[in-house]
Amino acid sequence: MSEAITRERREGQALPPIPERAHLGMTVWTLLRWTMAQTGAMMPLFIVVQAAIAGAVVVGFGLLVPDIDAPTAELLSTGAPTILILVIGLVLCPWGVAGARTSGTLTYQRALPVPRPLLLVADLVVWLVIALPSIPVTVLVARLRYGIEYSIDWPLLVGAFVLATIMAVSVGYATAMLLSPMMSQLVSQVMVFFVMLFSPVTFPKEQLPEWFQAVHSVLPFQAAADLLRAGLLSDRFEPSGQGLVVLIVWCLLGLIISVRAVIRRG
Amino acid sequence: MGDAILEIEGLTRRFGSVVANDEVGLRVRPGEVVGLLGHNGAGKTTLVSQVVGLLRPHGGSIRVVGVDAVADPGTARRCVALQAQAQAPLDGLTPKEAIVIAGRLRGMSRSASRDAAERMADELDIREWIDRRATPDGGGISGGVRRLTAFAMAAVAPVPLIILDEPTNDVDAARRRRLWNMVRRLGDEGAGVLLVTHNVAEAEHVMDELVVLDRGRAVASGSPSQLRGAEGDEMRLELSLPLDAQDPSSQEPPFRFVRRVRNGRRVLLSLAESDAATAVAWATALRASGRVEGYTLTPTTLEDAYLAATADAESIHEESAHV
Repeated sequence: MSEAITRERREGQALPPIPERAHLGMTVWTLLRWTMAQTGAMMPLFIVVQAAIAGAVVVGFGLLVPDIDAPTAELLSTGAPTILILVIGLVLCPWGVAGARTSGTLTYQRALPVPRPLLLVADLVVWLVIALPSIPVTVLVARLRYGIEYSIDWPLLVGAFVLATIMAVSVGYATAMLLSPMMSQLVSQVMVFFVMLFSPVTFPKEQLPEWFQAVHSVLPFQAAADLLRAGLLSDRFEPSGQGLVVLIVWCLLGLIISVRAVIRRG
Repeated sequence: MGDAILEIEGLTRRFGSVVANDEVGLRVRPGEVVGLLGHNGAGKTTLVSQVVGLLRPHGGSIRVVGVDAVADPGTARRCVALQAQAQAPLDGLTPKEAIVIAGRLRGMSRSASRDAAERMADELDIREWIDRRATPDGGGISGGVRRLTAFAMAAVAPVPLIILDEPTNDVDAARRRRLWNMVRRLGDEGAGVLLVTHNVAEAEHVMDELVVLDRGRAVASGSPSQLRGAEGDEMRLELSLPLDAQDPSSQEPPFRFVRRVRNGRRVLLSLAESDAATAVAWATALRASGRVEGYTLTPTTLEDAYLAATADAESIHEESAHV
Protein backbone atom coordinates (compact mmCIF):
# COMPACT_ATOMS: atom_id res chain seq x y z
CA MET A 1 0.00 0.00 0.00
CA SER A 2 2.61 2.52 1.10
CA GLU A 3 4.86 1.41 -1.76
CA ALA A 4 2.10 2.20 -4.25
CA ILE A 5 1.58 5.65 -2.73
CA THR A 6 5.30 6.40 -2.83
CA ARG A 7 5.61 5.30 -6.42
CA GLU A 8 2.63 7.38 -7.50
CA ARG A 9 4.11 10.49 -5.91
CA ARG A 10 7.50 9.77 -7.46
CA GLU A 11 6.14 9.68 -11.01
CA GLY A 12 5.26 13.34 -10.82
CA GLN A 13 8.60 14.48 -9.41
CA ALA A 14 10.87 16.58 -11.61
CA LEU A 15 14.64 16.18 -11.53
CA PRO A 16 16.26 18.41 -8.91
CA PRO A 17 18.67 21.12 -10.10
CA ILE A 18 22.44 20.56 -10.10
CA PRO A 19 23.80 22.14 -6.89
CA GLU A 20 25.92 25.26 -7.30
CA ARG A 21 29.65 25.04 -6.69
CA ALA A 22 30.52 26.29 -3.18
CA HIS A 23 32.51 29.54 -2.99
CA LEU A 24 36.19 28.76 -3.65
CA GLY A 25 37.53 30.78 -0.70
CA MET A 26 35.14 29.09 1.69
CA THR A 27 36.04 25.66 0.30
CA VAL A 28 39.77 26.28 0.79
CA TRP A 29 39.22 27.64 4.30
CA THR A 30 37.00 24.69 5.28
CA LEU A 31 39.48 22.15 3.90
CA LEU A 32 42.29 23.91 5.77
CA ARG A 33 40.33 23.71 9.02
CA TRP A 34 39.70 20.03 8.45
CA THR A 35 43.32 19.18 7.54
CA MET A 36 44.63 21.33 10.40
CA ALA A 37 42.36 19.55 12.89
CA GLN A 38 43.74 16.19 11.78
CA THR A 39 47.44 16.89 11.22
CA GLY A 40 47.64 19.91 13.52
CA ALA A 41 46.83 17.73 16.53
CA MET A 42 50.37 16.36 16.11
CA MET A 43 51.89 19.90 16.10
CA PRO A 44 53.49 19.74 19.61
CA LEU A 45 55.13 16.44 18.66
CA PHE A 46 56.40 17.88 15.38
CA ILE A 47 57.98 20.86 17.23
CA VAL A 48 59.75 18.49 19.65
CA VAL A 49 61.01 16.40 16.71
CA GLN A 50 62.30 19.52 14.96
CA ALA A 51 64.12 20.68 18.11
CA ALA A 52 65.67 17.22 18.52
CA ILE A 53 66.87 17.12 14.88
CA ALA A 54 68.19 20.70 15.15
CA GLY A 55 70.17 19.66 18.26
CA ALA A 56 71.43 16.51 16.51
CA VAL A 57 72.64 18.41 13.44
CA VAL A 58 74.02 21.58 15.03
CA VAL A 59 75.49 20.07 18.21
CA GLY A 60 75.87 16.39 17.27
CA PHE A 61 77.56 16.89 13.88
CA GLY A 62 79.78 19.50 15.57
CA LEU A 63 81.13 16.80 17.88
CA LEU A 64 82.46 14.93 14.83
CA VAL A 65 84.72 17.86 14.00
CA PRO A 66 87.49 18.42 16.56
CA ASP A 67 88.34 22.13 17.17
CA ILE A 68 85.46 23.32 14.99
CA ASP A 69 86.17 26.69 13.33
CA ALA A 70 83.73 29.52 12.66
CA PRO A 71 83.09 28.81 8.92
CA THR A 72 82.36 25.14 9.63
CA ALA A 73 80.04 26.05 12.50
CA GLU A 74 78.27 28.53 10.22
CA LEU A 75 77.80 25.91 7.50
CA LEU A 76 76.41 23.42 10.01
CA SER A 77 74.08 25.94 11.62
CA THR A 78 72.74 27.39 8.40
CA GLY A 79 72.36 23.94 6.80
CA ALA A 80 70.30 22.64 9.70
CA PRO A 81 67.02 24.42 8.65
CA THR A 82 67.31 22.77 5.22
CA ILE A 83 67.72 19.36 6.87
CA LEU A 84 64.59 20.02 8.95
CA ILE A 85 62.56 21.17 5.96
CA LEU A 86 63.68 18.15 3.91
CA VAL A 87 62.86 15.75 6.77
CA ILE A 88 59.39 17.30 7.09
CA GLY A 89 58.74 17.23 3.35
CA LEU A 90 60.37 13.95 2.40
CA VAL A 91 59.66 11.87 5.53
CA LEU A 92 56.79 13.28 7.63
CA CYS A 93 54.60 14.32 4.68
CA PRO A 94 54.83 10.91 2.90
CA TRP A 95 54.16 9.28 6.27
CA GLY A 96 50.96 11.37 6.58
CA VAL A 97 49.90 10.66 2.98
CA ALA A 98 50.58 6.92 3.35
CA GLY A 99 48.43 6.93 6.52
CA ALA A 100 45.63 8.80 4.70
CA ARG A 101 45.78 6.28 1.86
CA THR A 102 45.60 3.20 4.09
CA SER A 103 42.89 4.60 6.39
CA GLY A 104 40.63 5.61 3.49
CA THR A 105 40.84 9.32 4.39
CA LEU A 106 42.23 10.23 0.99
CA THR A 107 39.52 8.25 -0.82
CA TYR A 108 36.88 9.95 1.33
CA GLN A 109 38.24 13.39 0.53
CA ARG A 110 38.60 12.64 -3.18
CA ALA A 111 34.87 11.82 -3.27
CA LEU A 112 33.96 15.26 -1.86
CA PRO A 113 32.33 17.89 -4.08
CA VAL A 114 35.49 19.99 -4.22
CA PRO A 115 38.10 20.46 -6.96
CA ARG A 116 40.67 17.80 -6.03
CA PRO A 117 43.79 19.99 -6.42
CA LEU A 118 42.46 21.96 -3.42
CA LEU A 119 43.10 18.88 -1.25
CA LEU A 120 46.79 19.24 -2.14
CA VAL A 121 46.68 23.00 -1.49
CA ALA A 122 45.29 22.40 2.01
CA ASP A 123 48.00 19.82 2.72
CA LEU A 124 50.74 22.14 1.44
CA VAL A 125 49.59 25.01 3.65
CA VAL A 126 49.38 22.80 6.73
CA TRP A 127 52.88 21.37 6.16
CA LEU A 128 54.18 24.93 5.64
CA VAL A 129 52.76 25.82 9.06
CA ILE A 130 54.32 22.70 10.58
CA ALA A 131 57.72 23.59 9.05
CA LEU A 132 57.58 27.18 10.34
CA PRO A 133 59.44 26.50 13.62
CA SER A 134 62.39 24.96 11.71
CA ILE A 135 64.20 28.26 11.26
CA PRO A 136 63.75 29.81 14.75
CA VAL A 137 64.57 26.47 16.39
CA THR A 138 67.88 26.06 14.51
CA VAL A 139 68.80 29.74 14.89
CA LEU A 140 68.26 29.45 18.64
CA VAL A 141 70.28 26.23 19.01
CA ALA A 142 73.16 27.61 16.87
CA ARG A 143 73.30 30.87 18.83
CA LEU A 144 73.41 28.97 22.11
CA ARG A 145 76.10 26.55 20.89
CA TYR A 146 78.36 28.71 18.69
CA GLY A 147 77.20 32.29 19.33
CA ILE A 148 76.67 32.91 15.60
CA GLU A 149 75.66 36.42 14.55
CA TYR A 150 73.05 36.26 11.79
CA SER A 151 72.53 38.88 9.08
CA ILE A 152 69.04 38.02 7.90
CA ASP A 153 67.65 39.13 4.54
CA TRP A 154 63.98 38.69 5.41
CA PRO A 155 62.38 38.71 1.94
CA LEU A 156 65.02 36.24 0.70
CA LEU A 157 64.69 34.06 3.80
CA VAL A 158 60.90 33.93 3.61
CA GLY A 159 60.96 33.25 -0.13
CA ALA A 160 63.61 30.54 0.25
CA PHE A 161 61.70 28.93 3.13
CA VAL A 162 58.41 28.83 1.18
CA LEU A 163 60.05 27.56 -2.00
CA ALA A 164 62.16 24.91 -0.25
CA THR A 165 59.19 23.69 1.81
CA ILE A 166 56.80 23.52 -1.15
CA MET A 167 59.50 21.66 -3.10
CA ALA A 168 60.12 19.15 -0.32
CA VAL A 169 56.43 18.61 0.50
CA SER A 170 55.32 18.28 -3.12
CA VAL A 171 58.13 15.85 -3.94
CA GLY A 172 57.31 13.86 -0.76
CA TYR A 173 53.59 13.94 -1.60
CA ALA A 174 54.25 12.78 -5.17
CA THR A 175 56.43 9.91 -3.90
CA ALA A 176 53.75 8.80 -1.46
CA MET A 177 51.03 8.94 -4.13
CA LEU A 178 53.02 7.04 -6.76
CA LEU A 179 54.49 4.29 -4.60
CA SER A 180 52.77 1.81 -2.31
CA PRO A 181 52.61 3.00 1.34
CA MET A 182 55.28 0.50 2.40
CA MET A 183 57.59 1.39 -0.48
CA SER A 184 57.24 5.13 0.08
CA GLN A 185 58.25 4.70 3.74
CA LEU A 186 61.35 2.84 2.61
CA VAL A 187 62.28 5.48 0.03
CA SER A 188 61.80 8.18 2.70
CA GLN A 189 64.31 6.52 4.99
CA VAL A 190 66.88 6.22 2.21
CA MET A 191 66.37 9.85 1.17
CA VAL A 192 66.90 11.15 4.68
CA PHE A 193 70.27 9.39 4.91
CA PHE A 194 71.23 10.72 1.49
CA VAL A 195 70.27 14.27 2.50
CA MET A 196 72.02 14.20 5.88
CA LEU A 197 75.24 12.40 4.93
CA PHE A 198 75.80 12.71 1.20
CA SER A 199 74.43 16.16 0.30
CA PRO A 200 76.42 19.41 0.52
CA VAL A 201 73.91 20.93 2.95
CA THR A 202 75.98 21.11 6.14
CA PHE A 203 79.44 20.88 4.54
CA PRO A 204 81.08 22.50 1.47
CA LYS A 205 80.45 20.83 -1.89
CA GLU A 206 84.21 20.75 -2.55
CA GLN A 207 84.43 17.80 -0.15
CA LEU A 208 82.56 15.67 -2.69
CA PRO A 209 84.11 14.13 -5.83
CA GLU A 210 83.49 16.16 -8.95
CA TRP A 211 81.02 13.76 -10.53
CA PHE A 212 78.95 13.85 -7.34
CA GLN A 213 79.09 17.66 -7.33
CA ALA A 214 77.66 17.55 -10.87
CA VAL A 215 74.81 15.29 -9.66
CA HIS A 216 74.04 17.72 -6.82
CA SER A 217 73.99 20.69 -9.17
CA VAL A 218 70.71 19.31 -10.60
CA LEU A 219 69.26 17.91 -7.35
CA PRO A 220 67.27 20.27 -5.12
CA PHE A 221 69.06 19.69 -1.79
CA GLN A 222 72.14 21.88 -2.26
CA ALA A 223 70.03 24.49 -4.06
CA ALA A 224 67.65 24.74 -1.07
CA ALA A 225 70.54 24.91 1.41
CA ASP A 226 72.40 27.63 -0.52
CA LEU A 227 69.29 29.78 -0.85
CA LEU A 228 68.36 29.51 2.84
CA ARG A 229 71.97 30.16 3.85
CA ALA A 230 72.01 33.35 1.75
CA GLY A 231 68.87 34.44 3.56
CA LEU A 232 70.34 33.79 7.02
CA LEU A 233 73.90 35.09 6.46
CA SER A 234 73.25 37.65 3.73
CA ASP A 235 76.54 39.49 4.36
CA ARG A 236 78.64 36.39 3.57
CA PHE A 237 76.62 34.31 1.05
CA GLU A 238 75.03 35.29 -2.27
CA PRO A 239 71.89 33.57 -3.64
CA SER A 240 72.64 31.60 -6.81
CA GLY A 241 70.48 32.02 -9.90
CA GLN A 242 71.10 28.45 -11.01
CA GLY A 243 70.09 27.13 -7.59
CA LEU A 244 66.85 29.10 -7.77
CA VAL A 245 66.04 27.64 -11.18
CA VAL A 246 66.80 24.08 -9.98
CA LEU A 247 64.54 24.57 -6.95
CA ILE A 248 61.69 25.99 -9.04
CA VAL A 249 61.96 23.11 -11.54
CA TRP A 250 61.77 20.49 -8.76
CA CYS A 251 58.90 22.41 -7.18
CA LEU A 252 56.93 22.37 -10.43
CA LEU A 253 57.77 18.71 -11.02
CA GLY A 254 56.55 17.73 -7.54
CA LEU A 255 53.37 19.81 -7.91
CA ILE A 256 52.52 18.50 -11.38
CA ILE A 257 52.95 14.84 -10.35
CA SER A 258 51.01 15.40 -7.10
CA VAL A 259 48.11 17.17 -8.83
CA ARG A 260 47.93 14.47 -11.47
CA ALA A 261 47.93 11.77 -8.78
CA VAL A 262 45.21 13.46 -6.72
CA ILE A 263 42.84 14.04 -9.66
CA ARG A 264 43.51 10.71 -11.35
CA ARG A 265 40.80 8.02 -11.62
CA GLY A 266 42.03 4.47 -11.17
CA MET B 1 14.57 7.69 -19.89
CA GLY B 2 15.71 11.05 -18.67
CA ASP B 3 13.70 11.21 -15.45
CA ALA B 4 16.26 9.38 -13.30
CA ILE B 5 18.65 10.95 -10.81
CA LEU B 6 21.08 8.10 -11.37
CA GLU B 7 21.04 6.14 -14.59
CA ILE B 8 23.64 3.42 -15.10
CA GLU B 9 23.70 1.37 -18.29
CA GLY B 10 26.01 -1.49 -19.28
CA LEU B 11 28.59 -0.53 -16.66
CA THR B 12 31.71 -2.66 -16.94
CA ARG B 13 34.88 -2.46 -14.89
CA ARG B 14 37.70 -4.98 -14.76
CA PHE B 15 40.67 -5.42 -12.44
CA GLY B 16 43.09 -7.50 -14.47
CA SER B 17 41.19 -10.62 -15.45
CA VAL B 18 38.51 -10.11 -12.78
CA VAL B 19 35.31 -8.49 -14.02
CA ALA B 20 34.11 -6.50 -10.99
CA ASN B 21 31.11 -4.97 -12.80
CA ASP B 22 29.74 -6.80 -15.81
CA GLU B 23 27.21 -4.82 -17.89
CA VAL B 24 25.37 -3.57 -14.80
CA GLY B 25 22.27 -1.44 -15.25
CA LEU B 26 20.51 0.52 -12.50
CA ARG B 27 18.17 3.49 -12.09
CA VAL B 28 17.35 5.70 -9.12
CA ARG B 29 14.48 8.14 -9.62
CA PRO B 30 13.63 11.15 -7.43
CA GLY B 31 12.11 10.05 -4.14
CA GLU B 32 13.25 6.47 -4.56
CA VAL B 33 15.40 4.39 -2.21
CA VAL B 34 17.16 1.72 -4.23
CA GLY B 35 18.99 -1.06 -2.44
CA LEU B 36 22.15 -2.51 -3.92
CA LEU B 37 22.65 -5.93 -2.36
CA GLY B 38 25.35 -8.49 -2.79
CA HIS B 39 27.91 -10.57 -0.97
CA ASN B 40 31.44 -9.36 -0.25
CA GLY B 41 33.27 -8.90 -3.54
CA ALA B 42 30.06 -8.72 -5.58
CA GLY B 43 31.16 -5.37 -7.08
CA LYS B 44 29.03 -2.94 -5.03
CA THR B 45 31.81 -0.62 -3.90
CA THR B 46 33.39 -0.72 -7.38
CA LEU B 47 30.09 0.53 -8.79
CA VAL B 48 29.85 3.32 -6.21
CA SER B 49 33.49 4.32 -6.81
CA GLN B 50 32.74 4.86 -10.49
CA VAL B 51 29.72 7.06 -9.74
CA VAL B 52 31.85 9.46 -7.65
CA GLY B 53 34.80 9.43 -10.05
CA LEU B 54 37.28 7.38 -8.02
CA LEU B 55 37.45 4.74 -10.75
CA ARG B 56 37.03 5.04 -14.50
CA PRO B 57 34.64 2.54 -16.12
CA HIS B 58 35.85 0.31 -18.93
CA GLY B 59 32.44 0.36 -20.56
CA GLY B 60 28.90 1.66 -20.20
CA SER B 61 27.52 4.98 -19.02
CA ILE B 62 26.70 6.75 -15.76
CA ARG B 63 24.41 9.78 -15.70
CA VAL B 64 23.74 11.73 -12.52
CA VAL B 65 20.89 14.25 -12.88
CA GLY B 66 21.50 14.07 -16.61
CA VAL B 67 25.24 14.81 -16.26
CA ASP B 68 27.66 12.36 -17.85
CA ALA B 69 29.61 11.31 -14.74
CA VAL B 70 32.37 9.69 -16.80
CA ALA B 71 33.07 12.80 -18.90
CA ASP B 72 32.39 15.37 -16.15
CA PRO B 73 33.09 13.73 -12.77
CA GLY B 74 33.52 17.09 -10.99
CA THR B 75 29.93 18.20 -11.69
CA ALA B 76 28.63 14.70 -10.92
CA ARG B 77 30.31 14.79 -7.49
CA ARG B 78 28.44 18.00 -6.64
CA CYS B 79 25.22 16.06 -7.18
CA VAL B 80 26.24 13.11 -4.97
CA ALA B 81 26.82 12.79 -1.24
CA LEU B 82 28.63 9.59 -0.32
CA GLN B 83 28.87 7.87 3.01
CA ALA B 84 31.78 5.56 2.27
CA GLN B 85 32.23 2.14 3.80
CA ALA B 86 35.50 3.25 5.45
CA GLN B 87 35.14 5.52 8.46
CA ALA B 88 35.07 9.25 7.69
CA PRO B 89 38.18 11.19 8.79
CA LEU B 90 36.92 12.69 12.04
CA ASP B 91 40.11 12.75 14.14
CA GLY B 92 40.60 16.12 15.80
CA LEU B 93 36.95 17.12 15.24
CA THR B 94 33.71 16.88 17.18
CA PRO B 95 30.73 15.32 15.36
CA LYS B 96 29.15 18.76 15.18
CA GLU B 97 32.25 20.34 13.62
CA ALA B 98 32.48 17.49 11.11
CA ILE B 99 28.82 17.86 10.07
CA VAL B 100 29.22 21.65 9.74
CA ILE B 101 32.35 21.15 7.58
CA ALA B 102 30.42 18.77 5.30
CA GLY B 103 27.61 21.34 4.99
CA ARG B 104 30.03 24.20 4.30
CA LEU B 105 31.77 22.23 1.53
CA ARG B 106 28.35 21.99 -0.15
CA GLY B 107 27.86 25.74 0.04
CA MET B 108 25.62 25.90 3.13
CA SER B 109 25.92 28.92 5.41
CA ARG B 110 27.52 28.42 8.81
CA SER B 111 24.22 28.94 10.65
CA ALA B 112 22.26 26.64 8.33
CA SER B 113 24.80 23.85 8.68
CA ARG B 114 24.91 24.29 12.47
CA ASP B 115 21.11 24.12 12.66
CA ALA B 116 21.12 21.01 10.49
CA ALA B 117 23.79 19.40 12.69
CA GLU B 118 21.72 20.08 15.82
CA ARG B 119 18.57 18.73 14.21
CA MET B 120 20.26 15.53 13.04
CA ALA B 121 21.94 15.01 16.40
CA ASP B 122 18.44 14.78 17.89
CA GLU B 123 17.08 12.70 15.05
CA LEU B 124 19.90 10.15 15.38
CA ASP B 125 20.06 10.46 19.18
CA ILE B 126 23.78 11.36 19.33
CA ARG B 127 23.43 14.66 21.20
CA GLU B 128 25.44 13.25 24.11
CA TRP B 129 28.57 13.07 21.90
CA ILE B 130 27.95 15.99 19.55
CA ASP B 131 30.63 18.18 21.16
CA ARG B 132 33.07 15.42 22.08
CA ARG B 133 36.34 15.40 20.16
CA ALA B 134 37.38 12.31 18.20
CA THR B 135 41.01 11.43 18.83
CA PRO B 136 43.38 9.37 16.67
CA ASP B 137 43.23 5.57 16.72
CA GLY B 138 39.49 5.47 17.30
CA GLY B 139 39.47 7.34 20.64
CA GLY B 140 37.04 9.97 21.96
CA ILE B 141 33.88 8.69 20.32
CA SER B 142 32.79 5.14 19.52
CA GLY B 143 32.74 3.50 16.10
CA GLY B 144 28.93 3.63 16.05
CA VAL B 145 28.82 7.38 16.73
CA ARG B 146 31.53 7.92 14.10
CA ARG B 147 29.38 5.99 11.59
CA LEU B 148 26.26 8.01 12.47
CA THR B 149 28.28 11.23 12.15
CA ALA B 150 29.47 10.13 8.70
CA PHE B 151 25.83 9.46 7.78
CA ALA B 152 24.84 12.95 8.99
CA MET B 153 27.73 14.42 6.96
CA ALA B 154 26.28 12.80 3.83
CA ALA B 155 22.72 13.88 4.65
CA VAL B 156 23.36 17.43 5.93
CA ALA B 157 22.87 19.30 2.65
CA PRO B 158 20.09 18.78 0.12
CA VAL B 159 21.69 16.86 -2.76
CA PRO B 160 19.99 15.02 -5.62
CA LEU B 161 21.65 11.66 -4.88
CA ILE B 162 22.77 10.18 -1.57
CA ILE B 163 24.85 6.99 -1.64
CA LEU B 164 25.12 5.09 1.62
CA ASP B 165 27.64 2.23 1.72
CA GLU B 166 26.86 0.00 4.73
CA PRO B 167 25.57 2.92 6.86
CA THR B 168 24.60 0.79 9.85
CA ASN B 169 27.91 -0.99 10.52
CA ASP B 170 28.79 -0.68 14.25
CA VAL B 171 25.46 1.08 15.02
CA ASP B 172 23.23 -0.19 17.85
CA ALA B 173 19.72 -1.50 17.17
CA ALA B 174 17.81 1.55 18.45
CA ARG B 175 19.85 4.03 16.45
CA ARG B 176 19.79 1.78 13.38
CA ARG B 177 16.03 2.18 13.40
CA ARG B 178 16.37 5.95 13.63
CA LEU B 179 18.83 5.90 10.74
CA TRP B 180 16.49 3.83 8.54
CA ASN B 181 13.64 6.25 9.29
CA MET B 182 15.86 9.11 8.23
CA VAL B 183 16.84 7.30 5.02
CA ARG B 184 13.15 6.89 4.21
CA ARG B 185 12.54 10.57 4.99
CA LEU B 186 15.37 11.65 2.64
CA GLY B 187 13.68 9.70 -0.13
CA ASP B 188 10.23 11.05 0.72
CA GLU B 189 11.64 14.58 0.51
CA GLY B 190 12.67 13.96 -3.09
CA ALA B 191 16.29 12.77 -2.98
CA GLY B 192 17.36 9.61 -4.73
CA VAL B 193 19.04 7.20 -2.34
CA LEU B 194 21.31 4.32 -3.37
CA LEU B 195 21.66 2.06 -0.37
CA VAL B 196 24.48 -0.48 -0.33
CA THR B 197 23.95 -2.96 2.46
CA HIS B 198 24.19 -6.54 3.68
CA ASN B 199 21.45 -5.82 6.18
CA VAL B 200 18.59 -6.99 3.95
CA ALA B 201 16.09 -7.69 6.70
CA GLU B 202 16.31 -4.22 8.25
CA ALA B 203 16.63 -2.25 5.04
CA GLU B 204 13.67 -4.03 3.44
CA HIS B 205 11.03 -1.64 4.71
CA VAL B 206 12.76 1.51 3.43
CA MET B 207 13.60 0.25 -0.06
CA ASP B 208 11.38 0.91 -3.08
CA GLU B 209 13.50 -1.09 -5.50
CA LEU B 210 16.52 -3.29 -5.21
CA VAL B 211 19.22 -4.70 -7.39
CA VAL B 212 21.13 -7.84 -6.43
CA LEU B 213 24.72 -8.09 -7.63
CA ASP B 214 26.52 -11.40 -7.74
CA ARG B 215 30.10 -11.67 -8.99
CA GLY B 216 29.78 -8.41 -10.87
CA ARG B 217 26.46 -9.13 -12.57
CA ALA B 218 22.99 -7.82 -11.70
CA VAL B 219 21.21 -11.14 -11.10
CA ALA B 220 17.86 -9.83 -9.85
CA SER B 221 16.02 -6.52 -9.61
CA GLY B 222 12.58 -5.26 -8.76
CA SER B 223 10.53 -4.10 -5.79
CA PRO B 224 10.89 -6.03 -2.51
CA SER B 225 7.50 -7.70 -3.04
CA GLN B 226 8.39 -8.68 -6.60
CA LEU B 227 11.59 -10.31 -5.42
CA ARG B 228 9.94 -11.96 -2.46
CA GLY B 229 7.41 -13.59 -4.77
CA ALA B 230 4.42 -11.64 -5.99
CA GLU B 231 1.86 -14.01 -4.48
CA GLY B 232 3.23 -13.41 -1.00
CA ASP B 233 1.92 -16.77 0.18
CA GLU B 234 5.23 -18.62 0.14
CA MET B 235 6.56 -20.12 3.35
CA ARG B 236 10.13 -20.80 4.33
CA LEU B 237 11.17 -23.96 6.09
CA GLU B 238 14.59 -23.65 7.66
CA LEU B 239 16.32 -26.86 8.72
CA SER B 240 19.35 -26.81 11.05
CA LEU B 241 21.52 -29.81 10.25
CA PRO B 242 23.87 -31.63 12.60
CA LEU B 243 27.57 -31.32 11.79
CA ASP B 244 28.51 -33.11 8.50
CA ALA B 245 24.94 -34.35 8.04
CA GLN B 246 23.40 -35.00 4.62
CA ASP B 247 20.67 -32.63 3.44
CA PRO B 248 17.41 -34.63 4.04
CA SER B 249 15.53 -32.56 1.44
CA SER B 250 17.69 -34.13 -1.28
CA GLN B 251 15.66 -37.36 -0.82
CA GLU B 252 12.26 -36.34 -2.12
CA PRO B 253 10.33 -34.66 0.73
CA PRO B 254 6.54 -35.26 0.65
CA PHE B 255 5.83 -31.79 -0.75
CA ARG B 256 7.03 -29.60 -3.64
CA PHE B 257 9.45 -26.79 -2.94
CA VAL B 258 10.05 -23.92 -5.33
CA ARG B 259 13.55 -23.06 -4.12
CA ARG B 260 16.25 -24.66 -2.06
CA VAL B 261 19.31 -22.86 -0.72
CA ARG B 262 21.97 -24.47 1.44
CA ASN B 263 23.90 -22.05 3.57
CA GLY B 264 26.45 -23.91 5.73
CA ARG B 265 24.47 -26.11 8.13
CA ARG B 266 21.20 -24.36 7.22
CA VAL B 267 18.89 -25.50 4.45
CA LEU B 268 16.17 -23.08 3.36
CA LEU B 269 13.21 -24.49 1.46
CA SER B 270 10.55 -22.25 -0.07
CA LEU B 271 7.17 -23.94 -0.34
CA ALA B 272 3.52 -23.17 -0.89
CA GLU B 273 1.42 -22.17 2.11
CA SER B 274 -0.92 -25.12 1.46
CA ASP B 275 1.96 -27.55 2.06
CA ALA B 276 2.83 -26.06 5.46
CA ALA B 277 1.17 -28.79 7.55
CA THR B 278 2.84 -31.59 5.56
CA ALA B 279 6.20 -29.85 5.84
CA VAL B 280 5.89 -29.46 9.62
CA ALA B 281 5.00 -33.15 10.03
CA TRP B 282 7.98 -34.12 7.85
CA ALA B 283 10.39 -31.83 9.75
CA THR B 284 9.09 -33.05 13.13
CA ALA B 285 9.82 -36.63 12.11
CA LEU B 286 13.32 -35.64 10.95
CA ARG B 287 13.99 -34.00 14.30
CA ALA B 288 12.70 -37.04 16.17
CA SER B 289 15.09 -39.25 14.20
CA GLY B 290 18.00 -36.86 14.82
CA ARG B 291 18.55 -36.04 11.12
CA VAL B 292 17.93 -32.35 11.82
CA GLU B 293 18.66 -30.47 15.05
CA GLY B 294 15.69 -28.15 14.67
CA TYR B 295 13.45 -26.34 12.21
CA THR B 296 11.40 -23.16 11.82
CA LEU B 297 8.55 -22.37 9.44
CA THR B 298 8.01 -18.69 8.63
CA PRO B 299 6.65 -16.58 5.79
CA THR B 300 9.28 -16.01 3.06
CA THR B 301 11.40 -12.93 3.62
CA LEU B 302 13.34 -10.73 1.25
CA GLU B 303 16.53 -12.20 2.70
CA ASP B 304 15.46 -15.64 1.45
CA ALA B 305 14.90 -14.22 -2.02
CA TYR B 306 18.26 -12.46 -1.85
CA LEU B 307 20.06 -15.64 -0.77
CA ALA B 308 18.31 -17.57 -3.52
CA ALA B 309 19.33 -14.98 -6.13
CA THR B 310 22.96 -15.13 -5.07
CA ALA B 311 23.12 -18.86 -4.42
CA ASP B 312 25.86 -20.59 -6.33
CA ALA B 313 25.26 -22.24 -9.67
CA GLU B 314 25.17 -25.71 -8.09
CA SER B 315 22.18 -25.01 -5.87
CA ILE B 316 20.36 -23.20 -8.69
CA HIS B 317 20.86 -26.32 -10.75
CA GLU B 318 19.55 -28.46 -7.90
CA GLU B 319 16.41 -26.32 -7.60
CA SER B 320 15.50 -26.43 -11.25
CA ALA B 321 16.10 -30.17 -11.36
CA HIS B 322 13.64 -30.72 -8.57
CA VAL B 323 10.79 -28.39 -9.51
